[in-house]
Amino acid sequence: MPSEVLRLLNALGLVAVDTVLLLAFADQLWFHDLPCPLCVLQRAGFVAAGFGLALNLIFGPRPSHYGVLILGASAGAVVAMRQTLLHIVPGSGAYGLPFLGLHLYTWAFILFAAMIVGAAVLLFADRQFGRPEPWSQRLSLLPLTAIVAFALLIVGNFVSTLLLCGLGFCPDNPTEYLLTG
Amino acid sequence: MMSLPFLLFACGLGAAWLRQRGAAMGFWVAGLVTLLVLFRLHMTDVLNIAL
Repeated sequence: MPSEVLRLLNALGLVAVDTVLLLAFADQLWFHDLPCPLCVLQRAGFVAAGFGLALNLIFGPRPSHYGVLILGASAGAVVAMRQTLLHIVPGSGAYGLPFLGLHLYTWAFILFAAMIVGAAVLLFADRQFGRPEPWSQRLSLLPLTAIVAFALLIVGNFVSTLLLCGLGFCPDNPTEYLLTG
Repeated sequence: MMSLPFLLFACGLGAAWLRQRGAAMGFWVAGLVTLLVLFRLHMTDVLNIAL
């Protein structure tokens, strides 16, 4: 697989992570669907996984960067699975509104699993690890935009979680921002 | 407390942007460990399922 294609796939992967985090923010801000503690941790899982893609774009592809992606997605998947199992029994309730028939934590688990599979597939391209120079020397618009958006979304989630939960733990069913009311 | 993983990941991305790969990886590990510890602290209910 040509290295430019791999670079594009990494950039598109980070754009996908950005989109997930952006949609979560949209749900929070426009529909006032405040994130529960496990929802916050799933967002952190997406950030942890996307970090590996950002490292690939900045430093060039390395197996350890794909390891970052896989471990981050695995941590997020564990959190998403826990929340799915909490509500999997009919009549045990749910958190938030479903989207296309599935709740957001179920979608999150599917996406984390897809990221792990995607990373495994990209690891098959052995020749990408022989490149002498990092890709970031020629960062084009798409990777640069994806990284900047990723950084903004991480900072946004930091501020949002701080406002929502203060310096302690988040309430199980938040109804207002602890710091602003 | 719950915002700590995001702070650590943000520091890691900043370090990566400054070409400090070791620091970036260190911040990422710290963020991931924090995420898992917070997750463990939130597992207070027993799952009502039979496996």
